[in-house]
Amino acid sequence: MKPRTVSADELAGLVAGWETSAAVYAPVKVKDWTEFRRVSSLAEADLTQVNTKLSARGLLFPQCETMFRFETSRPDKAEEADQPEAQVILGVRPCDAAGIAVLDKFFAGQGETDTFYRRRREKTTLVGLACSAPADTCFCAAVGGLPAGTRGLDLLLTDLGGRYLAEPLTDNGEAAVKDLPEAAAADLAKKKEIADKAAVAMGQRIDTARLKQLLDSADSHPVWEDLSLACVNCGACTFVCPTCHCFDITDETSKGKGARLRVWDTCQFCLYSQHASGHNPRKTAASRFRNRAMDKFKYTVDMIGEVSCVGCGRCVRECPASIDIRETVETLMTVLPEK
Amino acid sequence: MSRQDQLRKRAKELLANKEVVMVLGYRAGKRPGTATPVFVTRPEDVDTLIFDDRCGPNLAAYLPRVKHRGKIAIVAKGCDSRSIVSLLKEKQVDRGQLMILGVGCEGVKEDGRLSDSCTTCAHPNPVICDEMIGEKVAEREPAPDLLAEFEKLSPDQRWQALMDDVSRCIRCYACRQVCPNCYCPTCFVDANSPQWVGKTTAGSDNMMFHLMRAMHMAGRCVECGSCSRGCPMGIDLMKFNRKVAHIVRERFGAVAGLKPDEPPALAAFDPNDKQEFIR
Repeated sequence: MKPRTVSADELAGLVAGWETSAAVYAPVKVKDWTEFRRVSSLAEADLTQVNTKLSARGLLFPQCETMFRFETSRPDKAEEADQPEAQVILGVRPCDAAGIAVLDKFFAGQGETDTFYRRRREKTTLVGLACSAPADTCFCAAVGGLPAGTRGLDLLLTDLGGRYLAEPLTDNGEAAVKDLPEAAAADLAKKKEIADKAAVAMGQRIDTARLKQLLDSADSHPVWEDLSLACVNCGACTFVCPTCHCFDITDETSKGKGARLRVWDTCQFCLYSQHASGHNPRKTAASRFRNRAMDKFKYTVDMIGEVSCVGCGRCVRECPASIDIRETVETLMTVLPEK
Repeated sequence: MSRQDQLRKRAKELLANKEVVMVLGYRAGKRPGTATPVFVTRPEDVDTLIFDDRCGPNLAAYLPRVKHRGKIAIVAKGCDSRSIVSLLKEKQVDRGQLMILGVGCEGVKEDGRLSDSCTTCAHPNPVICDEMIGEKVAEREPAPDLLAEFEKLSPDQRWQALMDDVSRCIRCYACRQVCPNCYCPTCFVDANSPQWVGKTTAGSDNMMFHLMRAMHMAGRCVECGSCSRGCPMGIDLMKFNRKVAHIVRERFGAVAGLKPDEPPALAAFDPNDKQEFIR
């Protein structure tokens, strides 16, 4: 699959083409930030800002999703929820695409496959956009990603100034750009320069292997209590996270008709771990704070073989108490004893 | 001596003399322009303490979570001190277990811009404190009513504007969690047998949550703006709270968080109440 170049007009043409057979989502300017919204043309998109308010996760795993509908008078019958339509997500940053690759492992990896996630994922094309100027909250390169990383994507665009380098990564991506001119060696060199410069801005690489080892025996360390004091126990960090994937299931009924819904849930809420008996194994704020750090850097390593922090920095940007997971990790690496 | 040095010196004395078990203040966040709450318990750690326009979070919200530890010294701006007054009125904290270190506040900034709530602040200095750290700041001329434009809209337009705002809510409850008034062990929105408020992010469920929260703020909200600043989705939650505070001011002549011995506007019984239905 050969890298191509795409002018802004050609990209607008691609969007128009996708739009005829799929819903196209792209970052759209809202107040001081961007959010993924459905667009009908490239002109509506804003590809200049680094990270959207929420990650693209909600387009594959919506915050609130109907699983099936029912009538209370007919408990034996259930009506299937609407099938998702094909979608192209344009302007996905490499950290978010890596986040989707992590979600793929949770929802469609070994063993059980999550129908609701899978059927959206199968109809999704991810068109990435490499980062040239990371934000002060970005740290993808510190957790194994890259500002021009390709993981999870069908196609990666790099802004070369008014035109883009387009690198197809899957048959889907190749089909989208196969008729465009091949990139010259100078284009590839320019892209490399942009990508290398962006990676340098990310700070020190976190030794995630060592962190995992330290966390393996850190369950009852007093550092969790200290670290958690500033945490207000809201769910912002988990809801803006591209890899958090917990949900709750609830029924909404009205006048005999109802729907079973799944809605995002978070380990940061006390109710999340509350048992029907009233017992709650994670009653304290410290234990919930610990769970999030453990989940990102230990539990998921045990489960899917990799950390589930992709360094998008949204939790850093949105924490109402300005808690910074990079600092949390630094503290853990300093304070936790080697085995 | 700078205000920050005074703060550190005093904190060190209080901890070294065991007058308090903890100094609740701010330290610089890792990200430039941010500050995060810090809980200093050892005299040698006081040098992390700062106070400037980064120090937005209302520290009174942390008091119910640390009060069991013993006597706490707390750094309090005007709004934090008013929240402490509210907590005292509602008997959530014991005055004798608090050492209030007052600081005059020139307003807190978000991404370099003065926070909306700070533009209308009429109490930049603490309304209650044991000692001032640094000088009081000059009282500012509060900005014109931030609701004025909104209130010019028709009821339909107002509803639509609020609906547009709350439809972006992701129900993370950051607004509730940063609020000093929200200390209930079980919030109405978490009550699930029966479930009072739907868990979805449909406009109606979100609006129900925000309206009910606003009702619970009546006569209690000191308009610190922590909820709006804390909202990850940039929703101006203070629109609700400001309106409620205005109504309480008009109908009850009460302003929250000013006088510890004044009964709470909506939670006091008076046999001589002017409203017949409640007597």
